[in-house]
Formats: sequence, C-alpha cells, structure tokens
Amino acid sequence: MTTRFPKRTTNLAGQTYGLMVLTPIRPGHEDELRAYLDGLHEQGSPLARLPRTHMARWLIMPDMPVPPGVQDPLDGPYLLFTSNFDGDLASYLHELAERLVPEAQEIWGRCIGCPRPAEGAALAAYLGRNQLDSGFVFAAYGASTVHQVRGALDKRARLQDFVVRSQEMDPAQRRKAFLAEFGDS
Amino acid sequence: MNRAEVSPDAPPSNVCGQTTSITLFSTQRWWGRFFMPFMFVTSRAVPKALEAMDSLSFISFASWSLIRDVPYNGPPQHLRRLRHSHLFFEVSFNGSWAQYIDSSVRVLTGGMKAFWSSSLTFPGPLPAGPFQAFFKTHEVDTSHYYCAYPEATVTIVRSALALEERLDMFAHRAGLLPEAAFDAVWGAFLEDAQRYL
Repeated sequence: MTTRFPKRTTNLAGQTYGLMVLTPIRPGHEDELRAYLDGLHEQGSPLARLPRTHMARWLIMPDMPVPPGVQDPLDGPYLLFTSNFDGDLASYLHELAERLVPEAQEIWGRCIGCPRPAEGAALAAYLGRNQLDSGFVFAAYGASTVHQVRGALDKRARLQDFVVRSQEMDPAQRRKAFLAEFGDS
Repeated sequence: MNRAEVSPDAPPSNVCGQTTSITLFSTQRWWGRFFMPFMFVTSRAVPKALEAMDSLSFISFASWSLIRDVPYNGPPQHLRRLRHSHLFFEVSFNGSWAQYIDSSVRVLTGGMKAFWSSSLTFPGPLPAGPFQAFFKTHEVDTSHYYCAYPEATVTIVRSALALEERLDMFAHRAGLLPEAAFDAVWGAFLEDAQRYL
C-alpha cells in the first residue's frame, strides 16, 4: 500500500498565500472599469476591509506586453487581481465575496462570466475558476500575519515613545510605568 | 541605453506609502516553458537560493508564474491559449523603481540571469540601463495598489517583529524582578533593543 501525500500548493511562502486572478473584461467596459479603479484611491481602499491582506493590486491589461516583432494578442482587455494574504484560499475568497459588496459588482461585474450580483459563493467560485497558480512566491516575513505585523509595529512605536518619556522618571516610576504599558503584552 | 533614456519614476498608482509595485509580463523563448518550471521547482526546493534576495531587505513580496493558458469563461471570450508562454512577475519593494533595478542587478546578478534568460530580448542584467528598458517595455501599471501597513518598510517590519519577541520576554521578567533591580536590567534591555528601534 502506498502512502498518498496531498499536493503542496506552489502559491505559499510560509503561511502567506500568493493569489492571482485573471478575468476577461466585457467588451466596451474597459474605460469605465479603469475610471472606477482609479477613483478608489480617493475613497480609501476597500481592500482594507479584508484584514488578512498584506498587499494587493488590480490592474488592467489592454493587451499582452510583447517585444517589437512578436505578436501574441489578447482577445480583449483583461483584469488582473493579485493578493498576498494570510491563511487558506477558500476562506479568503469567501471573505472577499462577502465584504467587497458593492465594489465587486463595479469591478468583476464588468468581466465576462461574472455572476450577477457579484457576491457570495457564486463570486468566490468565479474568482477561484479564474485563478492562475504561481510558480514561486517569496515573502520577506511569510511566517507573520497582518495582525502580528501590525501588533509588532504598534508595540515598537509605543516602546519608542516610552523610552523618551521614561527619561524624566525616577527608577520606581519607570518600572511602574513600564509594567503598566507592557506588563500584560 | 543609459538611465536617463527610460523614466525611472513609478506612477503614483504603483505606490502605496513606502512600498512600490512592479508588474511585468515577459515573452518566453520556446525553451522557457520547460526551463522556468525547472527554476521554480529548484527555487522552492533549495531555500538557500533565496538568501541573497532575502538579504536585500527591501523586497516584501514577489511572485513568478508561467502563463500559457488563459482561464476561459465562455463567449464573448475567444482566447483559451496564448501563442507564447509569458513569465509573470510581480514585486512589492521599498524605494524607487530605479533603485530596485540597480540594487537587484548588482546583488542578484546570477539569479537575474537565471530567471530572465529565457525571456525574449533580455539584454542581461548589467549594465542596468538596458535592463531597465527591458522592464519598462514589459511592465503594466497598477490601477489600484493596497498595502496594509503603508508606512513600514521591510526593515522596520522585521525589526518590529524581532523587538516584540525581546520586549515580551523582558516584560515578563521585569514583572518578577524586585524594584531595586529593574533599572539595571532595563538599561541592558535597551542596549540590546536599540538596533530594532
């Protein structure tokens, strides 16, 4: 009897998953989609509502960039979404499909094959069907989640502040203040 | 081509706080579709190969993928397969576009050759000017770029994570110390921790 090992995904670096989703934009919708994505900068990113996301991007490919003399045309513009996030893909796509309403409708709703409305399990399945696997993913701190990174950054800033403040304290005050600030950390 | 002949500045949409993004597709020579999967397997199997990249300390995330088939969604989409294989590359890093290219090609010269040699028109990593032009030809600008901690560089994140470990240990120890002993231990802790602050 042979032992069967589950196939390891090539999209992981530590516990960080590298997601890449490529979807064809519906004919005539490229300009509207581009304008919508450009406008997201003014409103604050909706991706902030996905707390497991380290970094992510949307971009529109009008065509495949090729060197002079080479032809490999796409059949229309494509939307590329990539994300580096914590944990497993299925729960992330589910989270995205629940929390990016109504942005998902404005974004993937302009893509061929996207369910209407663009939300819930149908959207998660659509994004999953259009995923492309990575060959290799690098993460500088792939063992740490967004929550852990933010917590560490916050603690570092608080310690920097405390070092300055505590210079004026006597030893007893310093100890008391330190334990009050960091004692239960 | 010197650096002045290509614009080294990333457009604002490729930047989020301290982090800049590059997204690139390069057309592969016929043998790239065999060679790149081999490179991917080797890189995953030999983590030591990444030490040089890790040591640069300004790259937070990067990924490579070989694309030939396009996910098919039915009409009016026609395309299912591209004529060539294309190497997809994306990276998030701190600093300017030109600094990234310059530093990468100087420190990762061998790795750059290995990862890009199967791309058509790859000029070699050095000198940096033609390599910058190669990147510009194949780059696609981001429409929207998000970073969860925009003001933190890779160095700051790594420092914060290392500091937290030491701070938590010290805080636990400090709670058990007699009051009179705290200041001496606090001084020693600061001496150790200052490289992370």
